[in-house]
Amino acid sequence: MSMLNLNLPTLASSLVKSGATTTATTTAQQCYVHPVVLFSILDHYLRRNENQERVIGTLMGVRSDDGRVVEIRSCFAVPHFETSDQVEVYVEHHQSMLALHKKASAREEIVGWYSTGSKLSKYAALIQDFYSREAAPFGAVHLLMDTDMTDGQLGVKCMQGSAIGAGAHPENCLFLPLPHELQYPDAELSALQTAADSVETEEGASVLVSDMEQLEKSIEELRAMLERVTTYVQDVCTGKSKANTVIGKYLMDMLAVVPKVDTKQFSTLFQSHLQDILMVAYLTNLTRAQLNIADRLQRIV
Amino acid sequence: MAGTTKQSKPMTALLNEQSELSAFDASAIPKQLRSVLDVEKVSTLTLVKVDPLAILKIVKHARESYPTSVNGQLLGLEVDGVLEVTNAFAVPTQPGSEEDMTNYQIEMIQCLREVNVDSSSVGWYQSTRLGDFMQQPLLDVQASYQISPNNSSVVLIHDTSKSEQAGNLSLRAFRLSQVYQDLAKNGKFTTKELADKGLTYGNILEELPIQVETSALSKVLLSELQWPTNAEQELLESLQRPSSFNSKLRAKRMADRSAISDDTESSDALDNNLSGLLPTRPTAYLSRPMCTNALDLSQSLNGSGSLSRQLEAISELIDDHIHDANQWMYWKRGEAKENNRRQQFVQRKATSNAARVARGEQPEPELSEKELDRMFKTLPEPSRLDALLNTANLNLLTKGVTQSRGPALTKMFMAQALQGSE
Repeated sequence: MSMLNLNLPTLASSLVKSGATTTATTTAQQCYVHPVVLFSILDHYLRRNENQERVIGTLMGVRSDDGRVVEIRSCFAVPHFETSDQVEVYVEHHQSMLALHKKASAREEIVGWYSTGSKLSKYAALIQDFYSREAAPFGAVHLLMDTDMTDGQLGVKCMQGSAIGAGAHPENCLFLPLPHELQYPDAELSALQTAADSVETEEGASVLVSDMEQLEKSIEELRAMLERVTTYVQDVCTGKSKANTVIGKYLMDMLAVVPKVDTKQFSTLFQSHLQDILMVAYLTNLTRAQLNIADRLQRIV
Repeated sequence: MAGTTKQSKPMTALLNEQSELSAFDASAIPKQLRSVLDVEKVSTLTLVKVDPLAILKIVKHARESYPTSVNGQLLGLEVDGVLEVTNAFAVPTQPGSEEDMTNYQIEMIQCLREVNVDSSSVGWYQSTRLGDFMQQPLLDVQASYQISPNNSSVVLIHDTSKSEQAGNLSLRAFRLSQVYQDLAKNGKFTTKELADKGLTYGNILEELPIQVETSALSKVLLSELQWPTNAEQELLESLQRPSSFNSKLRAKRMADRSAISDDTESSDALDNNLSGLLPTRPTAYLSRPMCTNALDLSQSLNGSGSLSRQLEAISELIDDHIHDANQWMYWKRGEAKENNRRQQFVQRKATSNAARVARGEQPEPELSEKELDRMFKTLPEPSRLDALLNTANLNLLTKGVTQSRGPALTKMFMAQALQGSE
C-alpha cells in the first residue's frame, strides 16, 4: 500500500523519518532578508568561474525561539561543482568559513542556503537535505535569486523544503514558498540611498554629499509627493478620478499625525530652540577659531 | 575611546609565503588593468571607489556592535590612482592574541580567494561613535598599512549614529599625509619640528573623495528595491492591513533591532510612502523613497541625544587642551630658567676671569659646551603629538556640530511652516 507523506506548513512541528536519520523540522512562517545578503549574492554570481551557471552559498541569520520567524542577516559563498549527473559541494570551505564567521558574529547561525538561476537545479533537493542537517533542529530556508532575469526582474523567492513521496528520501523534496520581506535598518537605508543615486547618473557612480544637500534632495522629493497627492485629491473632489476608500482613510490617518500645538506655545518653543541652535553654532565656531589661533601662535613661538 | 587593532607582520607578505607562484599569461589581462602588474610603481591616490556591497557590510557590522567601535579589512584593487574597494569583512573584536588575528585574516582572505573575491588588502575600516576618531592607535595601524603592502592603503571611517540620524551616509576615507610620516619616522614632535615641517592638526590625515560605483546587476537590484513592479497591488494591501500610523512608526523602530519579536503582525514597517498614488511613466518617480530620515524632526529636536554627548565630549577635550597647554608652558618656563642660570654662570665666569687677568693670574679654563650641558640639565621638550591629536579631535567634533546645525535649522523652519498652514 502506498501512502503520500506531506508536511503542511501550518503544523507546528512534524517528524520526518528517513532511513538513516530522524530530523524534527519546525517550519518557518515568515522570513526577513537584509539587503546586504542580496548584494552579496549578486557579487558572488558576477565573480563565478567561467563554466559555472549557478552559484550557491550559505545563509546566516537568527531565528525566533519557536522557529517561525527567520531573519537572514548575512551570507557567504561556497564553491560547488555541478555536472549533468553529479554535484559536489566543497564542504571544507563551508566549514572553515562558518568557523571564521562565528568568530566575528557569534549570534548568527546557519538558517539555509541560496542559489541563483531561474529555476531550481536538479540537485536542489540534495543540497537542501545537507543544509537541513546543518541547520538542525530547524529546517533550512532556500533563497533563489533569478539572475537570468525572466520577467525582466531579479526575483527573489524564499522557500523551504518539505518531504514528499512514499518514503522520505533525501532526493524527494517539495519546495514550498515562504513569504519574505526585505528589512532595512536605518543605517543601511542611508547607504542604499547613496547607492541608488548612482543608478541615475551616466557613469554609474555617485558622490557622497553633505547632510545639507541630502536634506535638500529629500525635501524636493517630499514636495513632488505632496503635489501628486494634492492633484489626486483635487481630481477626486471634482469627480475626475474614482475615489478609493482605502487611500482616503490612509490619507486621513496621515494628516491626523501632525501634532496640534497651540500657536503661542509653539512660538515659544520655536524661539527657544532657535536660540539653542544659534548658541551651539556660535560656541563651536568660537572654539574652532581659538584652535586655529593657538596653532598659529605655536608655530611662531 | 579607541578601536584598538594590532597588526604584526604585513598581511600580503605572510600570504605570499604560503601561496605558490605559477606562471600566468600576461596578455590575458585587459588593457586598463595593465598598470596593476607594475609592482614597483608608486602612484598617488586621488579617488576611492567603493562598491555598495562593501559599504553595506561595513554599515551592518558597525550597527550590530554599536556603540563599541569595530574594525575590519577592505579588499580591492588599485588602478591608476583610483582605489577600488570591492569587498570587506569584519574582524572579531576579541581575537585573543595577535597571531590569532593575523591567522583569522589570512584564512578569511584565502577562503574568499577561492570564490574569486579580490584578495589584496587595500586598507581597513573603523566605526566611530561621536566622530572623534583621531587616536594614536589609528595612526599607528594606518602607518603600518602604508609602509606595506603598498602605499595605497586607506582607512574608511564610518559614523553609525550620524548616518541614521542625518539620513545621509557618513563615510570618509583617509590616508596619512607625507608630512606626518616624515615626522613619525624620527619620532620627535617638538614645536620647532612641527613648525619646520608645517604639520598642523589639519594635515595629519588627508581626506580622499569617495564615489559609490555599482555594477549593472546591482543597478537592477536597486531599481527593483525602489520601484517594485507590482507596487500598486502591494501598496493597497499594505494600506488595508489593520495598523494605524503610530503602530507603523513603532514597527519601524523595531525593524532597526530585529524582526524577531513576539508580534509578527506589524511587519510592514517599511512603507515610508505618504502617497498612495503612482504616476504613470516615463516621468521618473519613486513609489518608495529610500530614506526619509533626513526629514525626521524628532531626532534633531531631541537635545538629549547625540548633540549633548558631543558637547560633553567637546568640553572634556577643551579641558585636556588647556591642560596640555599648561604643561607645555611649565616646561618652557623651566627651560627658560635653566638657560638663564647658565647665562649667569658663564657671565660670572667671564668677569672673574677678567678680574684674574687684571691681577696677573692665569685665567681659568673656559668650560666647553658639553660641560655646561652637564651642569645645567634641561628636560627634553614633551612630545606635542598628543596635544596635536587632541586639537584635531576637537576640530572634528566642533565641525560636526556646526554642520549638523544647518539642517536642524532648516527642519525647524519647516515645522513652523507646517504649523502655520494649519
